[in-house]
Amino acid sequence: MPLQDVGYRPWNKKRCGPSTTIWVIALTGIRLAWESRWLRRMVFFAWSPALIFAASFFAFEQAVDEGRLTSLGTAAQRGRNLDGVGMLGTVLADALGGNDGDVDVQTTRHLVWTRLLLAFMRAPQAMLLAAVLGLVAPTLISRDLRAKAWLIYFTRPVGRAEYILGKSLILFLLVLVITMLPALALWFTGVLVSPSVSVAFETWDLPIRIIAASLILAIPTVFLALAYSSLTAESRIASFAWFATWVACWIAHGALTTADLVASTQDGGVSTVLSATKADQASRSSKIEVSPLRRNFRWFARAAGIDTGQDRWAWVSPYHALGAVQAAIFGIDTRPSSWWPSSMTLLLMSVSSLVILSWRITAPASS
Amino acid sequence: MTNFDAIIPVRLNNIVKRYGRRTVLDGVSLDVTRGITGLVGPNGAGKSTLVRSILGLVRLASGQARVFGIDPYRAPRRVRQIVGVVPEDECTIPGLSGVEMVRYAARLSGLPSTEALRRSHEVLDWCDAGQERYRPVETLSVGTRQKVSFAAAIVHDPDMIILDEPTNGLDPIERQAMLGRLTTLAKDHGKTIFVSTHVLPDVEAICDQVIVLAGGRVRLTGTIDALTKPPQPEHHLVGIGPLKNLAAKLSERGLTARVEIRETESIISLVSPNPENINTVWAAAAETGVSIRSLSPATRPLEDIFIETLRQSEQVSNKQDQTLRGSH
Repeated sequence: MPLQDVGYRPWNKKRCGPSTTIWVIALTGIRLAWESRWLRRMVFFAWSPALIFAASFFAFEQAVDEGRLTSLGTAAQRGRNLDGVGMLGTVLADALGGNDGDVDVQTTRHLVWTRLLLAFMRAPQAMLLAAVLGLVAPTLISRDLRAKAWLIYFTRPVGRAEYILGKSLILFLLVLVITMLPALALWFTGVLVSPSVSVAFETWDLPIRIIAASLILAIPTVFLALAYSSLTAESRIASFAWFATWVACWIAHGALTTADLVASTQDGGVSTVLSATKADQASRSSKIEVSPLRRNFRWFARAAGIDTGQDRWAWVSPYHALGAVQAAIFGIDTRPSSWWPSSMTLLLMSVSSLVILSWRITAPASS
Repeated sequence: MTNFDAIIPVRLNNIVKRYGRRTVLDGVSLDVTRGITGLVGPNGAGKSTLVRSILGLVRLASGQARVFGIDPYRAPRRVRQIVGVVPEDECTIPGLSGVEMVRYAARLSGLPSTEALRRSHEVLDWCDAGQERYRPVETLSVGTRQKVSFAAAIVHDPDMIILDEPTNGLDPIERQAMLGRLTTLAKDHGKTIFVSTHVLPDVEAICDQVIVLAGGRVRLTGTIDALTKPPQPEHHLVGIGPLKNLAAKLSERGLTARVEIRETESIISLVSPNPENINTVWAAAAETGVSIRSLSPATRPLEDIFIETLRQSEQVSNKQDQTLRGSH
């Protein structure tokens, strides 16, 4: 017997609106997802690449501070030819282009920071995002279908839109925590380690680009993951479909790109596929003899957005399509032929996922 | 919407629901009045579909539904704000504790955060949920889960509560307690209760009105008192001794009486005597050596009425089938 059983009492105060419902669904979903030890580990792990990138920011700013930027660029260029460069080296070599004269620090900083941030969002974060969404998203709707929990929602003043938005918000928040927040933290770190706070004004556009790129990353992936989850009451099947999509499309992209490379090699080795511009291609061909090791490194460089070569098959794979559009957002490759087909892929992905969600989640139910 | 419609908690007008070629609700029209209404019917009668149609959860082929005068298909949000539902299926959100589950339901119904928590504890106390409320719902016993489900349905103080098999899996004590809570809500708080169940004694114990649904159609509707009253006033006499002799003696004296053999005992069913004829009954009993244990106004058990209604509906269906085959 409770100490203070006041019996049943009427309640007729003001009720909250639908926007509160969306937050309630989202926050409860996050709370339940956060109970997974694997998710906690993965989110923690998702921040660790930021440390490596922060070191790159520090190294660059240290070089600027000590006036060693030109020599660093030359070293990077030499290093790239010898295949012995890391990420910062590749970025610097591209940014400085083997320039031996005076370097415009402001322009170079902007370019280097942009490249580093894009690389950060592409290589480690986008892959971690696929893993985290694959862990959380499949259960979100399929579990409700399995436990018949949809009756809990739709016997209450919850509409289809609130349900879908609430579930999406769970994933959006997770995606933003593992992509946008660390990227913004990196930019902030860059400002802190730079010689002057005025650098924040020089690079004011980067936080906006980070937010835009994060949203581009989040919207299609979240809706696709939820659409898979809504198609089955078995979350394992949804997980399989999610990972299979990424892997299969990646393989298809790799096969098509390799076929292009083989074809271009047979045509005399001048590849229009890989070059950013003809001039750039000519300049690289004259300076660089690509070794097998370097060629093997290229897949990572391209995936990370470090290699700015045009990828005409990017639209085939969601991962590469996201990269192409993000590269455009960061101003690295703004040629329409680079980002337009990919953005169509992402648009199609988002719209078709929303159609599936609307079809599967019905209130009133269609059956 | 007329004012009259707004007074009636539920009004269904000729609703038809089909799943493919199968017609689950075939022109159902009914009014659910204030108080407690029981919806009874065999498996597959369409009870759950009827409940879902009241909430606007299934698309109807035709017909109209109104809940307190509101169309659940045009304004589902308004209807679901004033209705609380205990679904038949054990629908839970794994990972939430009992109190979190009720609080979640309250938040989804629009209660502010602090208020939702306070009220969740309040209704769980009232439902006698005890300390088990802090355990994850998937680990709770069937009875406690039912209490949590009930608490979640009433936490937002709805005007009407719809319950689908509310006493499923409850032990006799819990069952009595649940029925007591429903009666309290109806009598003391003016709630309209709509109970869909198989358990006829539950309906008989608490309902004011009963609706029998079979084959997707309403076969019988009325108040419990009216339905269980025999066609002509009768009394039942339970006694020990030669009942046949007593029945014959009563008939001799102008009181129509017959002996009915039941499972556990025999009784005399006699047309209700006038107050002045009561002494005739006592005298006849004394003469035939029957000691009377009880003499009370007769009622027809709801179970008998239910079975009879189902038989009649089956006969009607069979006749219709034969007519259809004949026409083909």
